[in-house]
Amino acid sequence: MTNHWIDIKNSDCILIMGSNAAENHPISFKYVTEAQQKGAKVINVDPRFTRTSSRADIYTALRSGTDIAFLGGMIKYIMDNKLYNKEYVANYTNATFIVGKSFKFKNGLFSGYDSKKRKYDKSKWAFAMDAKGVPKMDRTLKNSRCVLQLLKKHFSRYNTKLVSKITGTPREDLLKIYQTYAASGATGKAATIMYAMGWTQHTVGVQNIRTMAMIQLLLGNMGVAGGGVNALRGESNVQGSTDHCLLWHIWPGYLKTPRASNVSLDAYNKKWTPKSNDPLSANWWQNYAKYSVSLLKSFFGEKATKKNDFGYSWLPKVDDGKAYSWLDLFDEMYKGSIKGFFAWGQNPACSGANAGKTRKAMERLDWMVNVNLFDNETGSFWKGPGVNPSKVKTEVFMLPACTSVEKEGSITNSGRWMQWRYQGPKPLGNSLSDGDIIIALGEKIKSAYKNSGTFTQPIRNLKWDYLTNGEYDPHKVAKEINGYYLEGPKKGKLVESFGKLKADGSTSSANWLYCHSYTEKGNMSARRSKQDAPNNIGLYPGFAWCWPVNRRIIYNRASVDLKGQPWDKKDWVIKFAGDVKGGKYVSKKWVGDVPDGGWYPLENPDGSKREDAKHPFIMRKHGHAQIYGPGRADGPFPEHYEPLECPVEKNLMNKQRINPVAPIYKTKADAFATCDPKYPFVGTTYRVSEHWQTGLMTRPQPWLLELQPQVFVEMSEELAKLKGIKNGERVLATSARGSLKCTAIVTKRFKPFKIAGNTVHQVGFPWHYGWRWPESGEEESANLLTPSTGDPNTRIPETKAFMVNVKKI
Amino acid sequence: MKVTRREFIQITGATAAGLAVSGLGFDLAPVKSHAQMLKTKYAKETTTICCYCAVGCGAIVHTSKRGDGRVINIEGDPDHVINRGSLCSKGASLKQLTENENRLTEPMYRAPYSKEWKSVSWEWALTKIAKRVKETRDATFKYKNVIGQVVNRTEGIASVGSAAMDNEECWIYQALMRALGLVYVEHQARI
Amino acid sequence: MSKSFFVDTTLCTACRACQVACKQWHDLPAEETKNRGTYENPADLSFDTYKLVRMREEVIGGKLKWLFFPEQCRHCVEAPCLDTAGDASAIYKDAATGAIIFTANTKGMNVDEIIESCPYNIPRKGPDGTLAKCDMCLDRVQNGLLPACVKTCPTGAMNFGERADIVALAKSRLFAVKKANPKAALLDTDDVNVIYLVAEKPSLYHKFAVASNAAFDITRQVALRRMFTPLTNIVSRLL
Repeated sequence: MTNHWIDIKNSDCILIMGSNAAENHPISFKYVTEAQQKGAKVINVDPRFTRTSSRADIYTALRSGTDIAFLGGMIKYIMDNKLYNKEYVANYTNATFIVGKSFKFKNGLFSGYDSKKRKYDKSKWAFAMDAKGVPKMDRTLKNSRCVLQLLKKHFSRYNTKLVSKITGTPREDLLKIYQTYAASGATGKAATIMYAMGWTQHTVGVQNIRTMAMIQLLLGNMGVAGGGVNALRGESNVQGSTDHCLLWHIWPGYLKTPRASNVSLDAYNKKWTPKSNDPLSANWWQNYAKYSVSLLKSFFGEKATKKNDFGYSWLPKVDDGKAYSWLDLFDEMYKGSIKGFFAWGQNPACSGANAGKTRKAMERLDWMVNVNLFDNETGSFWKGPGVNPSKVKTEVFMLPACTSVEKEGSITNSGRWMQWRYQGPKPLGNSLSDGDIIIALGEKIKSAYKNSGTFTQPIRNLKWDYLTNGEYDPHKVAKEINGYYLEGPKKGKLVESFGKLKADGSTSSANWLYCHSYTEKGNMSARRSKQDAPNNIGLYPGFAWCWPVNRRIIYNRASVDLKGQPWDKKDWVIKFAGDVKGGKYVSKKWVGDVPDGGWYPLENPDGSKREDAKHPFIMRKHGHAQIYGPGRADGPFPEHYEPLECPVEKNLMNKQRINPVAPIYKTKADAFATCDPKYPFVGTTYRVSEHWQTGLMTRPQPWLLELQPQVFVEMSEELAKLKGIKNGERVLATSARGSLKCTAIVTKRFKPFKIAGNTVHQVGFPWHYGWRWPESGEEESANLLTPSTGDPNTRIPETKAFMVNVKKI
Repeated sequence: MKVTRREFIQITGATAAGLAVSGLGFDLAPVKSHAQMLKTKYAKETTTICCYCAVGCGAIVHTSKRGDGRVINIEGDPDHVINRGSLCSKGASLKQLTENENRLTEPMYRAPYSKEWKSVSWEWALTKIAKRVKETRDATFKYKNVIGQVVNRTEGIASVGSAAMDNEECWIYQALMRALGLVYVEHQARI
Repeated sequence: MSKSFFVDTTLCTACRACQVACKQWHDLPAEETKNRGTYENPADLSFDTYKLVRMREEVIGGKLKWLFFPEQCRHCVEAPCLDTAGDASAIYKDAATGAIIFTANTKGMNVDEIIESCPYNIPRKGPDGTLAKCDMCLDRVQNGLLPACVKTCPTGAMNFGERADIVALAKSRLFAVKKANPKAALLDTDDVNVIYLVAEKPSLYHKFAVASNAAFDITRQVALRRMFTPLTNIVSRLL
């Protein structure tokens, strides 16, 4: 979230789309309700009517996988009616940038497409640069090659008639929602988006979110209270674990995983440090080397020296242009190249797309280590449905972890708040905290490599001094994450904030983003002050701690005008309060939230420009938010493409049916079916309030199983009639990849769609189940049905739109 | 800075209303309830953050100071500025996640082609895992890729997990995996 | 002055935290359930389930509504169950809170009549014949805590406090909700200590949303028993 949970109460209009907040983030509705009672409009767009819809002021349905068409229509509406916030757009976004001549869009393809490699040459989308190497701009927004004009042209095709044909949403609903939401373009008004996996789990996932981010920028909703782009993250520490980058492509603090072509630390830092020639651009990532070197110092401690490139060569490099994502990982495992596997606090046998492929892949492993609270479908895959244990060679170690209340440490919520939690009871039985298990395993591995082994340096040199009295000490790690001064007068002291980190090895910080979280003042994440900030908008700066540097609303420099005064006088986030002399600011002072960089505003009170100011979007190379995004794999503007499996022969928006760069996997287990009469209905997956993720932390609980005991499929009364299915009876759902027995919920909450004149039915499944719990073994994972394809940028699987059949058993 | 103790709900021992009637000689305890004296009265109180979704709600854990030292009650933390005492159905069931007879309490091992689990010691399990890691890593370790660039990695071992771990655990976990040379390191954020 | 609940169904999201929080505090076991073609579960209140969110899909004025009704004992101002039992060691009213409390002494009583006497069809019989239902979390309330279901509610659908404050809150919410929902109403306000606000016709939410007249009909047996149990009735009023 760019903003945070409490801030939702400050909104004038809340769009809940691609998420089901009332069910999956129930406490968020405390703040949705509060905003609504103050007069905010709540809009919900979802293929089916949910518990969120029941509380919305406006609800409408769309067919799964058509969000870009829906939102593209809103962009057209905003452009046609000139509802964008012109001052904001012209000064804070790249709407003014001139795009180079090689950028083109035709027949659903952007320039630079290589159909053999299914890849774009992104250099074709570059900005036109001036002689100094700064993007050419037209602050009047009139140049036909400026981003705003190109945007207008691009979305001119997204008229409500066509959008309605694609999405199945009635035109009057589209108009009502566009009008209601776009009203937030007025100065001082804020609208927010609450989205989740309903947007990410598509072959156009990133562009779904980009479309909305662009709307937020057009309407001036980024950086302000009650605005922002808010991903409702689904797991208690998925934010923190992403910040610490348990992902193939990034290192802690969103540094890049080195590529094989980054042959030295210097080459690595050069490659990933962006350069801007605009003196008004803060270009925050220019500090890259300070963060990467401090990270290496945390990895290897004193063993990391300037002479050995701080141990850079000891860490693995990935091949340029190759992905090592979840889908690729299980594809490789299926093909047999992966021999050993850790499934640590995760249940891939149920959680990933195409679970049948995943389960088959596990049979090809030599060994697996599974760490969990409960026995589960992954650890026990060798005795799962249809598997003969005597044919499975895999050796499996199942290690019992303790629960979160049985240990101490911190987690980071969706609003980036790092919060400390304490130990209640001791771990049950012989279970251990993950921390104790990791430390003990690390010690065992270190001792195995003590006298022999391949490439032993990284293992032997890994800093591993996190014990106190023989036990894992989370405080020691938390301090290392913050970082220390390693030399000079403050040697041994904790670093105050990341502004002090150095690229010469004199500081450590295991994650620069968290530098400021545990300082000589103490553990900031354990703070409990209920005192609000002076702006009284629910920032609670003394409660817990949030990254970066306790800034509660990021991009908040965009919440003020060029003179540093808030667009919204009532619910303001920051404001410049420096002294004024002769119409000029003469001292620096911001009040409210921690500002996104403490520089002077771009203009003085008398309207004169300042040269010591910075553009507000400091993490962007050019300091401007990106309405045009030339870094994406699938185009600088979003475009509607159908899901890989879809119910229509043709994309009505352009000549490409599917995202032209979506990854395609080709094993026997990767079957797909589009417009196949065997699988005539659109399927989607989702969650319910009473279970969580694969259900492994809720299915073994009788109280929760009582509420939602069985896997189900929801369908319209019309479809049930067509298939002769009765409410509450068990039915069989099938896709090109697998089948699922489930209970039919025949409901008014699903309605057939009219798509280009045809009736299209959609059904939906919760993905919380698996054969191990409940013990009947009858409730299975909906991911047995879902396809292993995904977004070309992130490779998040497309589990939200695919094709199925349902029939009586 | 000392760790700030939360301002817990002040539980008084006020029981007058309930006990006053006992003189009548009836057992007036409501069915299935623990009237008059709170079951949490003598418990240790600690704060936690809910382990389910990422709203980050605060909860209070009441742990028995006597007997088995297990959890008696978990409910919303009224002094937490986000949830202000409320919890959803999952949060309200937190006690049953911890006090659950289905939990694993011993390391288990399944030998190749075996039909069953057997309990093993931590020492045995971790020693054997370290051995397997070393065997597989060393057999699959690549110093260079096909075009001769230095890569120092293994593609023979993969690891997934976990958004359920604490930040500090996440950091040491990824450090260990990366020191081993793993590149297939993924977790929930990808799916 | 008694304590009262205000249940604002217009704010309920049916997250059902109240159902679980109730079981958690009371250490009540889960029931074995099946999906019956609805999210609503268990199918009914029981000896082990004091609170149940009813969920109904209704098309009203061409618009789909999903109506939620967190059902529980109303802690009636004049409780028919109490009169029917006629034994304050089995069913009594807590003087300080107005909570209607069932004790283990309900075992072996005229439990079917007690159940039948309830205008809201709340009490349920256990395997040994004991009756159970919501106890207002009397232990919590006596110790200055909110009932578990109220404490856990995220949206303000569940409220609890002094009756006068709760009635005032209910009336102000009715006023606000009525602007958009002319059919909005408070249910049986004067007769109960659990006041519901609904936006639509009460019967659409649940058969027993408002007091059922049928259930109020006192059977002959009950009337007779009342005649013979004046003393215990007096005791119960004293409490």
